Order: sequence, then C-alpha cells, then structure tokens
Amino acid sequence: MNNEVQPVVLVLVGAAVLKISLGEAYLRYVKESLQPFLVASGVVLVLLGLLSAWKDLDRGGNSTSSAPVDHAGDGHDRAHGGPGIAWMLLLPVAAIFLVAPPALGADAASRDSGTVAGPRETSFVPLPEGDPVPLSVADYAVRAGWGGADTLQGRRVALDGFVTPAEDGGWYVTRIAMSCCAADGQAVKVKVLGQPAPPADTWVEVTGTYVPPDAQDPRTVPAVIQASGVVETTAPSNPYL
Amino acid sequence: MTERTTAPRPDGVQGPSRSSRRPRRPGALETLVFAVLLLVVAQQWLVPRLDAPALQTWATIFVSICVQALPFLVAGVLVSGAIAAYVPPEFFHRVLPRRPALAVPVAGMSGVVVPGCECASVPIAGSLVARGVTPAAAFAFLLAAPAINPIVLVATAVAFPGQPEMVLGRFLASLMVAVVMGWLWVRFGRTTWLRPRRRHSPEGTPPFEMFRRSVQHDFLHAGGFLVIGGIVAASVNVLVPSSVIETLAERWWLAVLALALLAVVVAICSEADAFVAASFTQFSRTAQLAFMVVGPAVDVKLIALQAGTFGRSFALHFAPVTFVVAVASTVLVGCWLL
Repeated sequence: MNNEVQPVVLVLVGAAVLKISLGEAYLRYVKESLQPFLVASGVVLVLLGLLSAWKDLDRGGNSTSSAPVDHAGDGHDRAHGGPGIAWMLLLPVAAIFLVAPPALGADAASRDSGTVAGPRETSFVPLPEGDPVPLSVADYAVRAGWGGADTLQGRRVALDGFVTPAEDGGWYVTRIAMSCCAADGQAVKVKVLGQPAPPADTWVEVTGTYVPPDAQDPRTVPAVIQASGVVETTAPSNPYL
Repeated sequence: MTERTTAPRPDGVQGPSRSSRRPRRPGALETLVFAVLLLVVAQQWLVPRLDAPALQTWATIFVSICVQALPFLVAGVLVSGAIAAYVPPEFFHRVLPRRPALAVPVAGMSGVVVPGCECASVPIAGSLVARGVTPAAAFAFLLAAPAINPIVLVATAVAFPGQPEMVLGRFLASLMVAVVMGWLWVRFGRTTWLRPRRRHSPEGTPPFEMFRRSVQHDFLHAGGFLVIGGIVAASVNVLVPSSVIETLAERWWLAVLALALLAVVVAICSEADAFVAASFTQFSRTAQLAFMVVGPAVDVKLIALQAGTFGRSFALHFAPVTFVVAVASTVLVGCWLL
C-alpha cells in the first residue's frame, strides 16, 4: 500500500467509526459505554489521515527521500512503506457503509441453548406491584431456573423480546445479553405456550403466567410461559440486555 | 527541489524514480477508487443476496469484533508511537533489572497497573522491544497486561459473584503464564524468530513526525491483522454449534481442553470473557478458568496481531507454547484453589 492511499484508508476507517458512533447504529455491535471511545478513536484516525495527506502534499510528491524504502524486506512493506495487509481494513469499512449489518436476532439466538447463569443473590425479592408486571426475560429466566419460581406463581407478567422459532414448531420470546460486543452475546429464551408463532425476528410483548418447564433440572432448559396475549411492538434502540 | 519523481512527465521523460525501474502498474490510489466505485455500484445487487440469516449473523459479529477492538487498538498504537518517539531507551534500562531473568517478573507485575486489552498490548510490546527492552520482559508484559489488570479482575468478580477464588485463580494462573513464558524465552528464545523492526523514519526526524509515522504504520499494520482475526472468530462463532461444545463438558480434562480451545478461536476481549465463561454453567470451574486464562494469552486475533508485529516465525513458536503453558497453569491453580 503506497503513501498516497494510507491517508485515505485512515480517513475511511475513522469515518466509518464516526458514522456508527454518532448515531445509534453502534448499539447493534457494542455496549453503550464504548461510545465516547469510539468517537475519540474515529476523530484521531480522521485527523491522522488528514495530517498525513497534508504532509504528502507538502512534500510535493518528492517522496523518494522521505518515505522509507524497503527493497530487502520480506515483502511486508513493499517498496513504498505501507503494509499490504492494511487493505483488509477496507472490509469492515465496506460492511459498515454498504451492508450495515443488523443487530443479532433469531438466527444467532437459535444457535444458543438459551439458558441463564446463576444469580448473584440466592434470595429473590417479590415482584413489584402491577398487573401484568413488566419483567425482562433474563429476570424471568433466572427466577424460573434458579429457585425463585414461587415469586412468579399466580402473577401475570409481560415479557419484551423478539421471536425465535423453536425446532419443535413452537417459539421463544428472546433477548440477547451482551457484556462487551455482539461476539459475546448470549441468548436468553423463554418458551411461549398457547399462542401461535409470529414471524421470526418480530418484536413482541408476551403476557402470561409461569408454568414449570418439562425437565428434571430447570437450569438446563429455557424457562416457559403460558401466554394469554401477544402484542407486536417496535424494536428498542438498544436491542441487547 | 521541485522535481516530481513519482509520475511520468507529460513529455514522456521519466525522472530517476521507481517507475523507471519497474513496469508501470495501476497505482494503489486508482485501485482504491475503482474498488470503492465497484462496491457502491454492486451494492444494489449485493445487499439483497446477503440476506441469508447466517451470513447476517456473521457480518454482525465480524463488524462488532472490529468495532469493539478499534478504540483499544488506537490507544495501543498511540502509546507505542509515544514510546518510540519520546521515551529514550535509557529509561527502560533504568527501571528494569539488568538481568533478563529478574526483568521478567517485574514486567509481568507491571501488567497489573496497565489497564489495556490484548489489541493494545501487542503494539506496545513491539515498541518496547524496538526500544531495547529485553524481549523476554516485553513478552511477559504482553501476556500479563490484558489478563490481570484491575478492569479485568473486577469484571471477573462481577461475573462470578461470591466466588473470590475465581478472581484469585485467574490472577495467579495468568501471572504464572506471563512469567513462565518470559523465562522460557530467556532460556530457549531466539532473536532470529523476531522480524527485525524497520525504522519508519531516518535519523534526525523530528519527534512528532516520528510519532505520526509510527502511529500510522502500526495502526494500518495491526489493524489489517485484527480484521483477519475477526474473520476467523466470526466464522467459528457462526459455524460451530454450541451443542457440540456442551457435549464435551462431562469429562473434566476434555472440558478444560474444550473451553481452552474455544477461547483461542472465539477471541473475545479479556474484559468480557469472564461473563461468557460464567455462562458455561455445565462446565467445571477449572474449565471456566481455562477459558479466562487462555483467552487473553493466545487467541486467533492475537496470533494474527503477533504475526504482524513480531513476524510469522515468532507467532508459530510462541502461540502453541503459550497455549500449553496456559492450560498447565490453569490445571495447577485449579487443582489447588478450586
């Protein structure tokens, strides 16, 4: 990669980061808390690219004396100072500008078991007032799987999430829990009984009551809800838990 | 001094430039413009065909790995550029013990105070070596910094509530990996495995210009390798069903090996890996520990970055040994603590 292209690549990568981090699109890929760092690194890259382009112009093309030339190398810095591997950086840039991959959805969730890790506390506080009680699928799944099922008994709850079809023809209301980026996303699924499956990836609110899962150990299977109603909703701006 | 040497002159006379020595090829800038135009035109046709759900999942995970790593990589190349341009080599000779065998544990412990992720520590270690720090100490730092810094330890404590022995186990096993690898390098390492680091600037370049060039080169270079690591990790994430891994949980040594290998291929950043490890509820705690000790020390993203920074021969020697040492440390600490 020669010296004329390097600044362009820097600016392109920086612009791609700024494009997603100045809006809400970055929430499809990473945690909210990363935003300031994304903006900062985008600005650094754009400035670096502009500075570098300006230096090149300033040199007036008399680049042979100022650019490091490596003829004896292993091809890593071919002739004009820049690493050829840097072309790979255009791949995520193209993906962001042209494809803009969506947030993880039913396809990713169907690859996970959908069970949850144990809770921090072993005692569960009673559900708040309300009928139905709005509850996150993770809260519901932890209560159902880890010994808090009695706090759910006799209460109507409302769970938000997207639709993931199950292999047996049923479906799950699903959220993906993310701790850093989408690569570590873990699906949390609650099996919905008693209502026909909406199309995959539809965002819904499921109202229903707790029923125990059909398994010896409730920690090894997704939690279950006996649904009385399903309403279509819109996707939240941050789709992850 | 206004003679232009990069382009053929209008009258067909060429200056004493590379273009007179080699056949004229389309320049990289033209290639880039053409590639971008082609992609923009092809978008209409391409995007509907990328509709397959698995491909979309792949693209999301690929982009998110790159986006997640980018701020850390930028921070890393800024620090390594600053080391290259502003910190005199004598500084490291003063703070590090002269004997490599002693410098290794000191460098390893210094990882405790530097909150960084693997993507940042590779270029920093690279510039430490270039500044004359003994490679063994630089590698101890490289392995320790992402694994045992305060952010990672706090994240581990949050992911394993009420189990401080997991945090302690992680700290001890990771520090052991860093120090053992440093000592192994003192004993067996060969400098011929390391690619000689090229100077980005001739003598007498002003420090800021040296800083700028070093940052630019290191970012483009390490960034390219990071993308390759991201491709591999996203592919594994989509192609290997988690049920395959879960069936391995029953035998304890298989479980340790399975989660250790998984850590290598999924390349999750060290601040997040504890949460993922905690979600493998069917696995033994030693196996979960293996996931957290191996991941920050050796994963596909890191191997690619190391190959880029230190050379392919280095990565081929260093990565497999690191894996073995990391698994062995985990088992030792696991048997004793967990």
